[in-house]
Amino acid sequence: MIHLQWPVMLAAVLAGLGVYGVIARRNAVLVLIGVELILNAANLLLVTAGSRPDAPLAAGSVVTLFVVTIAAAEISIALAVILVMFRRFGHIDLTAVPDLTKGAPEHTERDPTDRTDPAALAAEEVSEP
Amino acid sequence: MTTRDIVFVVVGVITALSGLLAVSTRHVVHAALWLLVCLGSLAGCYIVLGQELVGIVQLLVYVGAIVVLVLFALMLTRAPIGPQPDIDAPVWQRVVAALLGAATTALVAAATLPVIGQQSVDLDTPVVTTQQIASAIFGTWVWPFELLSVLLLVALVGAFAVSRVVLARRSRS
Amino acid sequence: MTWVVRLVVLVPALAGLAGLLLARSRPAAQRIAVGAAVATTVLALIQWVAPLGTGDIDTFGALPLGDLSAPLHLLSDELSGLIGFVVAFVVLTIQAYTVWYLREDARYPQFAAGVSLFAAGMLLLVQSADLVLTLVGWEIMGWCSWLLIGHDSERAAARRAAYKAFMVTRIADIAMVVGLITLSVRARSTDLFAVLTEPGRTGLLTFGLVCVVFGIAGKSGLVPFHDWLPDAMEGPTPVSALIHAATMVAAGSYVIARLFSLYAGNDAARTVLAVLAAITMVYAAALAFAQSDLKRLLAYSTLSQVAIMLSALAAAPAAFGVGPGMGHLVGHAFFKALLFLGGGWLAVIAGSTALAPMAGHVRSGVVLRWGMAIGFAALAGVPPLVGFFTKDTVIDAALEGAADGAGFRAWVVVVALFATVLLTAAYCTRAWLVLANGPQPARRPANGALEVERVGAPAGSVTNSRLAGVAWSPDGAVVAAGTERPPEQTSAGEPDPELVDETPPAPSEHRPSVQVAPWRGWWSDTELLALLRTASVAALAAGSVLGTLLLLTLPGSIHVGWLSAVVSVLLIAGAAWAVWVVARRGQRDAADVLPQPVRAAAVAGLGADTAYAAFGRAVVATARLVVFLDRDVLDAYPRAFAATTRAVGRAGQRTHRAVPSLGLIGVVAGVVVVAVLGVTVWR
Repeated sequence: MIHLQWPVMLAAVLAGLGVYGVIARRNAVLVLIGVELILNAANLLLVTAGSRPDAPLAAGSVVTLFVVTIAAAEISIALAVILVMFRRFGHIDLTAVPDLTKGAPEHTERDPTDRTDPAALAAEEVSEP
Repeated sequence: MTTRDIVFVVVGVITALSGLLAVSTRHVVHAALWLLVCLGSLAGCYIVLGQELVGIVQLLVYVGAIVVLVLFALMLTRAPIGPQPDIDAPVWQRVVAALLGAATTALVAAATLPVIGQQSVDLDTPVVTTQQIASAIFGTWVWPFELLSVLLLVALVGAFAVSRVVLARRSRS
Repeated sequence: MTWVVRLVVLVPALAGLAGLLLARSRPAAQRIAVGAAVATTVLALIQWVAPLGTGDIDTFGALPLGDLSAPLHLLSDELSGLIGFVVAFVVLTIQAYTVWYLREDARYPQFAAGVSLFAAGMLLLVQSADLVLTLVGWEIMGWCSWLLIGHDSERAAARRAAYKAFMVTRIADIAMVVGLITLSVRARSTDLFAVLTEPGRTGLLTFGLVCVVFGIAGKSGLVPFHDWLPDAMEGPTPVSALIHAATMVAAGSYVIARLFSLYAGNDAARTVLAVLAAITMVYAAALAFAQSDLKRLLAYSTLSQVAIMLSALAAAPAAFGVGPGMGHLVGHAFFKALLFLGGGWLAVIAGSTALAPMAGHVRSGVVLRWGMAIGFAALAGVPPLVGFFTKDTVIDAALEGAADGAGFRAWVVVVALFATVLLTAAYCTRAWLVLANGPQPARRPANGALEVERVGAPAGSVTNSRLAGVAWSPDGAVVAAGTERPPEQTSAGEPDPELVDETPPAPSEHRPSVQVAPWRGWWSDTELLALLRTASVAALAAGSVLGTLLLLTLPGSIHVGWLSAVVSVLLIAGAAWAVWVVARRGQRDAADVLPQPVRAAAVAGLGADTAYAAFGRAVVATARLVVFLDRDVLDAYPRAFAATTRAVGRAGQRTHRAVPSLGLIGVVAGVVVVAVLGVTVWR
């Protein structure tokens, strides 16, 4: 016997933590960690619902597996985007104000001495006509 | 409180605490490691709930692949060791984040607790066996399953293409 | 025989179309117009002599209108036969006269075609046994009147008069259409007999009948809509005769007559009709007295006479039927056409349609003199002529109606009728005295020199130029002003055989004669043209004398009471004597005793034109106000909404800095809000 209020409460807590993580973090990778928490809260809800005896078609388990798969696809794309962002802008700070007029944020010049920084190089190249 | 309840509460508290640390620690790498703990203990929750297959997949995919990917990403971007003062957004943003997080928690709890939170299930005889899951996947759910394989392929190609954008631009200039 | 009924309408209609198609050829147009008019008259005569007494003559077959049945039948009975014959006859005289009158007008073919089409419209209306066909004939006349009044379309005044006639009658036509539709819907059929026999639903019936009264008030020139008729004098004289005598203005009386059995049982509609008619007949007769222009005088007298017809329909007891009104329609058709054609003849001689320059010219010819004398006498209602019988029949009918208990509406009509008899006799005497007793007629030079001030001025200055004609000048050498510019006399060396008085040409500015392109055709002989003119005037004069005989075939159309006849003869004699005295035995214009401002106001139609213009401006102003309300008040809300949205968007754009985490906050907050709403609102 298990009372289902515990997994439901845990899912709610995880979702709240995930939302907090998404908004409160500056680092894009850490934002992704929040997203993972939200996804897992959803998974937990699915599993909880699927553990009831009247759940049809093994839906809880199957859909959870699907969500896990989708999460894998999502995180691979997201990390690719983050890497590209890092290469172009030299940072992955989501609170930074991008300079929309030039196509590259002002943070690119944050470390002008670092000539080996690929992002700085990229920014210079992009700013050329 | 049955035995399963107690076990679940214990594992759940570990999950929640590690989740909290994952989103609040000032060490960049620690955040990923706390996530590892969180997801791993969540796999334990699944097992407590009688879904062994899902728990194992959780371990394999999340703990084994996704967290590793996150760690790689942290290493490829700037991930200094030690506490970082600017890892978090400004204070007002964190307050907003806390409010929204609490609201989300309240919302999910309010929406789901009355629906399935009042029930209790007997898990001593497995509700869903792995064989049932297998036959469901390759029976009822076969088309979504096949679509998911396409999705994974697209994600693979997409990730490759996204990273190629920068390389192509660099080589052109 | 049913084909006769159809041909009566078809022949003039086809003649109109053919005339338009053969617009280049004047002789062909003349042959078509006069030939079709002769054929129509013969057909109408056949139909009058042997009416079919049926209302089931098919035309195009029924209209497929669902619930509403519209059989589109024609009818043929004694009334339609008589009226059709009179219309056809008057149209024939007018067509013959037009050949002479517009002998030098380049657009004669179009004009003749328009007259033919007009006649077709009237004959269709006369023979229609279906409200749809009635309306079709009605609208054909409206359109043709616009074409014909504006025939001299180079002149601004003619254009304005045409538009005025069209607009005023059109506004009244709204009521007409609503009324006819109401009657049709009430009977679930447009068939005249179904409409007449449908019982019940008196509220709807009253509404429809009152609407029809207002509709016919437009074309018949009852008081609120009367002012287009005097202005329509801008058209050539034949069209004035056509509109005034037998067709357009009389069409209203005919429609009422056709619906008479409905009106007979409906006091409300008849009271409206009686009041409008009573006001119009007295008002128009009074204004006619002061007119300085012969055609405008005749136009006001037409208003008055048409109101007499309608008053007969409004006041006569139901047992009298439509006889009195239709009798007066027939009589009026003869003598008014006669007066117009004679007036046009006079105007050609005098070079103007104003009364003053015409002074004495009526003595120019025997037929002209006797024709005008008979016309005015018939108009005034002098005993042996048709006007006397028809008018006194109307008076008798109204008195019978009053005795029959019709009350207010009959008494209003009786009083107005006696006042009108008095006034009619007065203005007829006055006009005749002016025309007959003027100075020695200064014969217009035969070579065509003409002292006519062309009235091309816009309507605003019309009053002044009309007043110019008021001045009584004993030597007859006034610069005359008239409404319509009559066509100039025939070219050099062709003295009119009717003109006996030869005086040497006046040595005024000698304009070279108008060189007319010599047209060779059927009637190239000037004498033949003059003969046509004289014959048509003489025929109408004969009709004015002998028309009573025609009316004997229509039951109830001649019914003279001794008392009313004696009273009206006394009134006529008294009025004539008074005018004769006031005019100092014809030595001056009787209207000169009126104060000059009164006279000027009367000539200007008591400001009715200004009132119309003000009404038009008020409508336009209302439309502008509605546009303003719609565009600037109602539309302000949507536009303010759009502007606000745009401003908010701009402000958002300025504050937006593309910070990803702020966007995340927005997205998450939005999701939470929507989810909260979903959970709390959706249950």
